[in-house]
Amino acid sequence: MSEVVVVENLVKKFSDVTAVNGVSFNIKRNEVFALLGPNGAGKTTTIHIIATLLKPTSGRVLVAGFDAARKPEEVRKRIGIVFQDPSLDNQLTGYDNMYIHGKLYGLKGAGLHEKIMRLLDLVDLKEFAFKKVMHYSGGMRRRLEIARSLLHEPEILILDEPTIGLDPQSRARIWDYIKYLKKEHDMTILMTTHYMDEAEELADRIAIMDKGRILAMGSAEELKSMLGQDVVYVAIKNNQDNNNPCSVFNFVKECKELRSGRLELIVSNATKILPEVFNAAELAGLKISEISYRRPTLNEVFLHLTGRELRDSLENQPVLSRRPVRWAR
Amino acid sequence: MNGFNAFTAVMYRQLKRWWNARSRVLMTVLNPLIWMVFLGLGWGSIFNPQNTPMVPGLPSIPGVIDAFKNAIDNYFKQLFGGVSYIAFMVSGIVVMTAFMGSFISGISVIWDKQFGFLKETLVAPAPRGLIILGRIIGDSIVTTLQSLIIVLLSQVLTNEVNVLNTPFAVLYVFVMSIGFTSLGTVLSLKFSSMEGFQMVVNLLTMPLVFMSGVFYPVTTMPDWMNMIAKVNPLTYSVHAVRYWLTGSNTGFEYMNSTTDLLILSSFTVVMIALAVKVFEKTTLED
Repeated sequence: MSEVVVVENLVKKFSDVTAVNGVSFNIKRNEVFALLGPNGAGKTTTIHIIATLLKPTSGRVLVAGFDAARKPEEVRKRIGIVFQDPSLDNQLTGYDNMYIHGKLYGLKGAGLHEKIMRLLDLVDLKEFAFKKVMHYSGGMRRRLEIARSLLHEPEILILDEPTIGLDPQSRARIWDYIKYLKKEHDMTILMTTHYMDEAEELADRIAIMDKGRILAMGSAEELKSMLGQDVVYVAIKNNQDNNNPCSVFNFVKECKELRSGRLELIVSNATKILPEVFNAAELAGLKISEISYRRPTLNEVFLHLTGRELRDSLENQPVLSRRPVRWAR
Repeated sequence: MNGFNAFTAVMYRQLKRWWNARSRVLMTVLNPLIWMVFLGLGWGSIFNPQNTPMVPGLPSIPGVIDAFKNAIDNYFKQLFGGVSYIAFMVSGIVVMTAFMGSFISGISVIWDKQFGFLKETLVAPAPRGLIILGRIIGDSIVTTLQSLIIVLLSQVLTNEVNVLNTPFAVLYVFVMSIGFTSLGTVLSLKFSSMEGFQMVVNLLTMPLVFMSGVFYPVTTMPDWMNMIAKVNPLTYSVHAVRYWLTGSNTGFEYMNSTTDLLILSSFTVVMIALAVKVFEKTTLED
């Protein structure tokens, strides 16, 4: 069975708000799947339902063939999760945090010890194993949590905003671990992020989420080509004798003359069309002084889909996001 | 045996946390120590008159004064079940320490919620009931150890406490601790904020202590307090622990070490069942 996670028409309503509104996706074995979207998009709620910590209002979640709502224990055995907020015991050592986790998942004895040391070594925390977690830095805690989530050899690793609040070095390091796990351990990974670069760098497939819905899904390339166009900017030196420079480039989708004699060419594939641009210019006797092209980023895709920038929605956070998590039974 | 492994894991965690913070053990016994020293010694000398008040008109014949002194002495001795006030109170403080400790250990569940560790136990595949039971037993071991420290400290203040009977007393303290830790756990799982929980703890703990016979016998209380004392599980552990430690038998006529244990065990079983049920249903609901 190649589908490790199947999510069908998932809906989660809290008393006053619909956090997830009809989400469906599948995750294949050995795939890194990212939910990308601003805070409050419903990513964490989706993940909590998959991790059996919330019951869906409607819809279905299957993890390795088990229904998350009906067979939570089977699902729990098969997932390793790193929560967005820390979930370590600060008063215990890194080793003890690992040890307790291992015992909770049925591991014991010398085998457990060996595994703990190997994983701590993997995340470069071996020398801090017997220091209390309260003395760890943010990056170290994250790494410990990742190591902990791998201890019971889960079939799928769930990472909720794995690099939030980390400095660039720690971020790069976590990225390396994620790549390593995919490559060397054939791990299936579901992650959420609101960093476009992170989704692009790590994920095989990305689902763009906003306001409880998935707006688009595919590889980063596919998503970007959804806009279908690259933009080429051409500046021409000797433009005065040609009144309509656009007529020269009649093979592009759209051409517009910008101020200061620059042309904006909308093309389907800039890398292929650039040589033709040079050729046509030469034939027409035009001298190109400057040329550049821009590929649409995921930000442009998000802008295209929602009408607003992902960065903007990060700055003006919706009501849902910063509310402290309340608990009930 | 997966479940048992999880049980010991969580118990280990509670004990390890306590051990790691052992400098704070001093703090946990400091409060009861203050009660013991100041209230015990302060009131103790009042209930044990050194000199008799001069009553106008009473002839100051030595024999009469002695009889008077003895009468007062006997009256209080009888009230406190044949022991001095300090022995009476100290044996109650042993229970109070465990009671406060176990109830407050419920707070650590709220902290786990706030610091996120609870989620770690919620996604674990082990049976939830065994996880929460491991936690409750671990905490109860800790609170029982704290009350043991009080038994040892009491030796400085009075020689009427019989340390040899401590194992019996500890049994009652342990059973009661499990019950109140479970209750604290239930409350903290239900309360979302630390503030709300603190309020309930404060509103519940001190009145329960005052209506359990720690500081004065339950038999001399006004009727309404008397009734509350009868349904207060703490009353039965205070009675039994006092009985085993000092031999003082002050309680309602139906109370003896067997009925005490039966009532305490029933309370504890109900509380454990409740805690397990609540924890099994716990989700991350917003």
